[in-house]
Amino acid sequence: MIRYEFLMQIRKRSLWISMGLLAVITVLGQGDAGPRYLPDDASARVVASSWAFLWSLLLPIVAGMVLADRLVRDDRLGVSRLLESLPTTATTRVMGRFLGALAATATPIFLATVIAGGAESISREDPAVLLWTPIAFGLVLLPGLVFVGAFAMVVPLLLTAPLFRVLFVGYWFWGNMLGPSYMPSLAGTLLTPVGDYTASWLLGERALYAGADGWLQLLRPEPNGVTAALSVALLLGVGLIPLLVGSRVLARRATA
Amino acid sequence: MRAVLTDVSSPLLWRYESRRVGVAAQAAPAAALAVTLLLTAFTANAGGSRADIERLLLTGLEAVVPLAVAVATVTVITRDRCRELHLALPVRYVTTLGRRLVTLVGAAAATAVIYSAALVATGWWSGPAAPASPLVWVPPLLALGGLAMILTVVGRSVVLASSGVAATWLAQQLYAASLASHAGSRPFFLFLTSRYGTGEGWLLNRFALTVTGLCLLAVAVTALSRPGAAPGEEEQ
Repeated sequence: MIRYEFLMQIRKRSLWISMGLLAVITVLGQGDAGPRYLPDDASARVVASSWAFLWSLLLPIVAGMVLADRLVRDDRLGVSRLLESLPTTATTRVMGRFLGALAATATPIFLATVIAGGAESISREDPAVLLWTPIAFGLVLLPGLVFVGAFAMVVPLLLTAPLFRVLFVGYWFWGNMLGPSYMPSLAGTLLTPVGDYTASWLLGERALYAGADGWLQLLRPEPNGVTAALSVALLLGVGLIPLLVGSRVLARRATA
Repeated sequence: MRAVLTDVSSPLLWRYESRRVGVAAQAAPAAALAVTLLLTAFTANAGGSRADIERLLLTGLEAVVPLAVAVATVTVITRDRCRELHLALPVRYVTTLGRRLVTLVGAAAATAVIYSAALVATGWWSGPAAPASPLVWVPPLLALGGLAMILTVVGRSVVLASSGVAATWLAQQLYAASLASHAGSRPFFLFLTSRYGTGEGWLLNRFALTVTGLCLLAVAVTALSRPGAAPGEEEQ
């Protein structure tokens, strides 16, 4: 099931076109603080992390959009009952779809990270940048993608895909990029899927708002290795909740 | 048959089109505004200033309603399962789609007008004079809605269109300062009222957004007139 989902998703042209266009726009619009303008003597760890953080600002939006219909489309296509007749549990179906679709959706982002890392590696004549690239991807981008992907797959079962997409865009701005001093926001907390804590730890300075004073002060410790690990654990753990809820919803529908 | 399909005064026809659009799409602007009000209540509870609260309330109207309409537009265009059947009817598909979008925009407009009136009545309105209040949300709605339509028709994909709309909306929020400070980009900045008020260049901005939106809509309608131009949800 994972393999089937992966292959189905990876062949979606819109996934590649959307990711590609947004990646180009992100690179062009990165501004003076972007990784293109890092000093020549910046460490490989900082360069790779900086690129991973740049990708994490907008590319997960496409991931959320593309994953939003993975479960609801079964009803629309009229294949729900057929899938329910398979000798698997609802949990297996949800997890299989989640892992396969997420792996496929993360592939273009991983490629973007590798291309940026490779280019930096060549221009800086520092192969270590390429070595740090998968580490930065795994720490900065992947936990957020798991978190976003889980909610994007399951919440449309309860809210419908269009309403989810509207709220998701608003959430992404509010929960990641809106300064906590302006209004109560999840931005800068351990639950920030943009990878603020892990990026701050890898960069050695605050990437965005990690740890800044604000709402839910308990979730805003100083960014360091421990709190970065805690952020990853929380994102993965909270990401499991919608998957479990989704499994229960599908199981109840099957027996209704 | 033709009379039934084209009698725009028939409530039956509008009720049918409204049901084709779906409750979720029509309720999206109201639901998004409800979330904005919830966040505003959070901000007020956390000791936010009156100016911040007013700006947030205006953001709901200028930024959230157009976003909801744009994303719902993508859905309305792509979710039609009977498009091929419709192409066999004596009414142009683009006319039917237009009626559906009118019901969508009508629901959003009703929501926006009630919301504006409530803000004016309660003294929380910080936009232009009340008669000009539609200028807060109509121009960005047209621009973002037009963008959604053109992306859906040209890109033939829900994901591409939704992501394009989302990226535009987010980029305008993130780069608000630089977009508003350059003479070339200021007329096309979607959130001028809620971010920088109704000062210099505001009317030009509203005019430019309206014209841009209408041009995008015109191009999208022209493209949609080609048989089979609109994408389905499986053509992603």
